[in-house]
Amino acid sequence: MWQIETGTTAGKIYVTLIVLAFLALFMGLIPVMQVLPPRGRRALIALVTFFAGLVFAAEFFLPVNKEGENLLSPAIEPAQNTLQIIGAMALALGTYGLIRLHLRNIVQQRSQWGYSVVLIVAFLTMGFFSVWNTLAEKGELPKTTVLERGFGLLFDNMLVPLESAMFSLIAFYIFSAAYRAFRIRSIEASILMFTAMVVMIGIVSLGNIISYQWLGLPLEQTAEMEKNPFSLRNIGYNLALPRIAYWILQALNAPVQRAIEFGVGIAGLAMAIRLWLSLERGIT
Amino acid sequence: MSYQHAADNWFSAIIIALIAAAVLLNIARAKAGAQLYIRRIPGLDAIDEAIGRSTEMGRPVTMIPGLTTFGVVAVQALTIFKYITKQIAKFATPMRLLTADATVYAVAQEAIHDAYNEAGRPDLYDPDDIRFLSDRQFAFASGVAGLLQRERVAASFMFGEFYAESLIFAETGNIVGAIQIAGTTTFTQVPFFVAACDYTIIGDEFYATSAYLSREPVLLGSLVGQDIAKLLFVLTIIVGLITTTIQGKDHWLVKLLGMPGGWDAFWRAIFGGS
Repeated sequence: MWQIETGTTAGKIYVTLIVLAFLALFMGLIPVMQVLPPRGRRALIALVTFFAGLVFAAEFFLPVNKEGENLLSPAIEPAQNTLQIIGAMALALGTYGLIRLHLRNIVQQRSQWGYSVVLIVAFLTMGFFSVWNTLAEKGELPKTTVLERGFGLLFDNMLVPLESAMFSLIAFYIFSAAYRAFRIRSIEASILMFTAMVVMIGIVSLGNIISYQWLGLPLEQTAEMEKNPFSLRNIGYNLALPRIAYWILQALNAPVQRAIEFGVGIAGLAMAIRLWLSLERGIT
Repeated sequence: MSYQHAADNWFSAIIIALIAAAVLLNIARAKAGAQLYIRRIPGLDAIDEAIGRSTEMGRPVTMIPGLTTFGVVAVQALTIFKYITKQIAKFATPMRLLTADATVYAVAQEAIHDAYNEAGRPDLYDPDDIRFLSDRQFAFASGVAGLLQRERVAASFMFGEFYAESLIFAETGNIVGAIQIAGTTTFTQVPFFVAACDYTIIGDEFYATSAYLSREPVLLGSLVGQDIAKLLFVLTIIVGLITTTIQGKDHWLVKLLGMPGGWDAFWRAIFGGS
């Protein structure tokens, strides 16, 4: 019902009519929204929001057939595609805003306007080669050496290394942030420092060398050790740095992270309900 | 294509229905006039202090929603930024809102415009203050870091979804001496913010922010509903823990909670039979 066969002429006409109907609906909504008083406008938006959300909620709760689908399941993909189209339209708006800002910087010669020139030139050059490359891949334009070298130079030899350089900066920032976090100023900071040291040493090879080569702690737990959990060998096995690090990560760190995730999930659900029912008045 | 449905997992269906009921009932209770309490969140109390500092120094305030795409996180982040903008408008402090998502950019322009209008200073609104920099993670990161350095911002607010770029923002802000308040739902980035920012809002505190700032009954009621839902999860965990410890993992209750399955499995577990 929701999927249209676009290969046929009838299908193409059907799709065109649907697109035109939606365009007419949206264009018609603009004067309606302008005429309506604020309360009426809000009510209209609330109504549209409610019905749009209802499709997704009903699709989740309605019974499904053996293929795991119900009446509304095929509508989900077109709805998500619509969201992507809205996102693409917004991208054009975002790019327009960026270009407008930098053109103003150049025209009014605001401070550091040279950077704006670099941005505009980079934007146009990259845009030109990207469009050319896309059309060439579709076979609509020839794939020349100029394109291959130009696109390779801009994308593989400039954009990718620049992004890698930004990413690698994080290593230095982690170092300076860790220095501040680990400065021993209180009991909490001392515990943090000690725990971090144990985990860091435990998960790298140094932890294995200290525990198993230097201290000679048992690497494997035998059946006898399992029977006598308080035997010296079993205690030694559990005190190996890699096992302590693993225990800290699994028994202390993971539950805390899950607790945060539970909270975020519940709060996100509550927020979604408020938005769906138009109870949220933040930016609406 | 198959999707997850209530019929695939009875437990999630019931839990979602219970959470929704708890939230809606408490919103109704709050609207009816019930007095609800919200604990102090120091990071949010510091927002006004950070704005005051920016005003005194005459340097801009930056608001960064990170890589948040448009959704509930973005709406919450923009609600917080709208509150901050209203405060900023009182003192005519310069601001920059920097985003990596074009849809968030479009909505942010409207939200910030509304904030200036509501504060009675529509003249202060400049569309160029809301900037879409790039949708590529590290191009956005370098754009933000560059702006923080060039404009020597005095306060930086980071609310939304952040990934590897979080520390680049936070450390750059730290280098220029900005007061930094961050809140994120991405728990992997929380340690970086804790290490580099002055105040960090963790986990669901992020969603409590609008209730804390506005004290609206709807939002406070929703918070109480969320707390009841959390209590429900804690009780489930405790019941599961005690039953597993005493009865073992093959007990019917543990199977019911741990391996839910569809509605057929639910009725079989309740009434028996195969």
